[in-house]
Amino acid sequence: MVGTDLIDRQANRQAVDGIRHTRKPDDRDVLVDIQDLCTYFYTPEGVVHALGGVDLKIGRGRTLGLVGESGCGKTVLALTILRLIPEPPGKIVRGRVLFEGTDLLSLDQAGIREIRGNKISMIFQEPMTSLNPVFTIGSQIEEVLMLHQSHRAPTRKQARTLAVELLDMVGIPYPHRRIDDYPHQLSGGMCQRVMIAMALACRPSLMIADEPTTALDVTTQAQILALMGELKEELNTSILLVTHDLGVVAQSCEDVAVMYTGNVVEHASVEDIFSRPLHPYTKGLMRSIPTVDARRRGERLHAIPGNVPTLRDMPKGCTFHNRCDEVMDVCRHERPLMFRPHPDHCVRCWRYTNG
Amino acid sequence: MKPILEIHKLKKTFPITSGVFRKSAGVVKAVDGVDLDIRPNETLGLVGESGCGKTTLSKMILALEKPDSGSIRFEGLDVVNARRGSLSQVRRGIQVVFQDPFGSLNPRRKIGSIIEEPMIIHREGSRVQRAKRVRELLEMVGLNEDILPRYPHEFSGGQRQRICIARALAVNPRLLICDEPVSALDVSIQAQVINLLVDLQKELKLSYLFISHNLSVVGYISHRVAVMYKGRIVELADASALFESPLHPYTGCLMDAVPEARPRKGPVLRSLKRGGIEQVSTDLPSGCAYRAWCPRAEEICERETPVLEKKGKDHFVACHLAAPQD
Repeated sequence: MVGTDLIDRQANRQAVDGIRHTRKPDDRDVLVDIQDLCTYFYTPEGVVHALGGVDLKIGRGRTLGLVGESGCGKTVLALTILRLIPEPPGKIVRGRVLFEGTDLLSLDQAGIREIRGNKISMIFQEPMTSLNPVFTIGSQIEEVLMLHQSHRAPTRKQARTLAVELLDMVGIPYPHRRIDDYPHQLSGGMCQRVMIAMALACRPSLMIADEPTTALDVTTQAQILALMGELKEELNTSILLVTHDLGVVAQSCEDVAVMYTGNVVEHASVEDIFSRPLHPYTKGLMRSIPTVDARRRGERLHAIPGNVPTLRDMPKGCTFHNRCDEVMDVCRHERPLMFRPHPDHCVRCWRYTNG
Repeated sequence: MKPILEIHKLKKTFPITSGVFRKSAGVVKAVDGVDLDIRPNETLGLVGESGCGKTTLSKMILALEKPDSGSIRFEGLDVVNARRGSLSQVRRGIQVVFQDPFGSLNPRRKIGSIIEEPMIIHREGSRVQRAKRVRELLEMVGLNEDILPRYPHEFSGGQRQRICIARALAVNPRLLICDEPVSALDVSIQAQVINLLVDLQKELKLSYLFISHNLSVVGYISHRVAVMYKGRIVELADASALFESPLHPYTGCLMDAVPEARPRKGPVLRSLKRGGIEQVSTDLPSGCAYRAWCPRAEEICERETPVLEKKGKDHFVACHLAAPQD
């Protein structure tokens, strides 16, 4: 058991390592290098393997889209990077998160607090509930600045000036007036802009955005995505964009990782994922997107049969085998390794053993 | 064919109050003169941003909200002034499936009793007949009958939405209002529920009012689509015509905003950058509500409120500047 597990881990490493080697041999381009990350939750009903050995790299100044259905571990991965997993019941069992060379998992509480909000910041799905309703948006941004950037904003007054600049940067009209507003006075889109302003206050190297536009209208979503893209260029920030919307991924990401039941099943550039998806799950996702033309041709939507298995009772072997239309015998018994059929393309599926 | 639902000049306003004494501070025109009809066996898609009045409109159709003026007729019955007998008749004919399958099933009741309840309310059948009907309904929505003694928390979102659909179908409605029925579901599950709705429509000759902000889903499932903006229908057309050649500038803006599931070539989403589309829909004295954001706005747009006019075969637009289609 231990033996196969180790081989599995090494194979994954080799496949993921290969991805960047072909593109840019210089490892300094990698901002975050996640290696064999496992996070488990110990519940009364048993151990839940929320992350089962994730390998992932985020390039500097690039946007990585993390796609998957609810319960696949996207959010747990984001929270694990920031060490925000509640312990107990959660526990980061093994693995490393190398951020600019340091392993975040080995830092003490003071050390990780230096990183959190400062080098790595986070935007959550619900802008309205992530802001404190009893403080003005100005005082909330000032707090971030005074806590982490005391050299840039030693006094409240200077922090306020910076906060106005930030609000202006994220496109809030009349920032000097809006700064004294409370969150309930702003619309959802405006609140999300404030969240982005807070996240960018310290010019982080990595911004984790967990479903930042899911609660917003399409027109507002388009504005927020455009804004994030522009600010990324301006500040050379990397973005980990967690989403379930393939359209959002196609429009705003450079790399894509597809997650299923606590594991990355496919990892490639956005062009490759959309032009030649390899994993049957990714293929299924692509075909299940409805279009106007499809209906006119009288086509039925392709639906992946069955449901996402709950993390508690995972099928044996490949966790996708009971929904897969390309299932083989080996899939039912053995967990697939990460294979690399193309230089920049990893996939966790037995179909690509020759790669 | 005669429409199954006819809505005529429907209006609904809500007062805005402010301060400690709830002083009136104007009104929000949630629905501002809507004319719409739904034909038998047809899916009418209704799209628009949050706050445009989609849900208020659907509540009035369900007789849950009373309009200020205008009329709604369902199969000839007056919905607005329906009382007792006729109200029950309306409610049996129009059923609804809500967005959040987690919030719309009573967590303390078993699936069997949830699906049976509408029939008890409308006094349909004996106990044995109802039990038989519940089994039929489960089969229709693709669920197994061994789920009957279980509770909602044991099911995933997609399964719960199937249960909600089964419950809505229990009293043989002719019109089903689907208020964002798939937006809370995962992509792979979404497709299953959409396929189910399409199949049920064919089998039971249902009409749907399909409300969503997801244009690709609406485009797929609808025969005709109505676009709503600040309480008014600004465009109404055949689904393929609307998506091929949107005539109202707002419809065009909505379509541009939808992220296409295809990697982009070059910069996109630029046109929408830093414009304030989000504004509370309070009063505009006159004219087109969209004129402030409209790239083509002219003097007439400020002076006169555009009405829905026929500009092509089955294509209606409320815009002074829309050119007629052959």
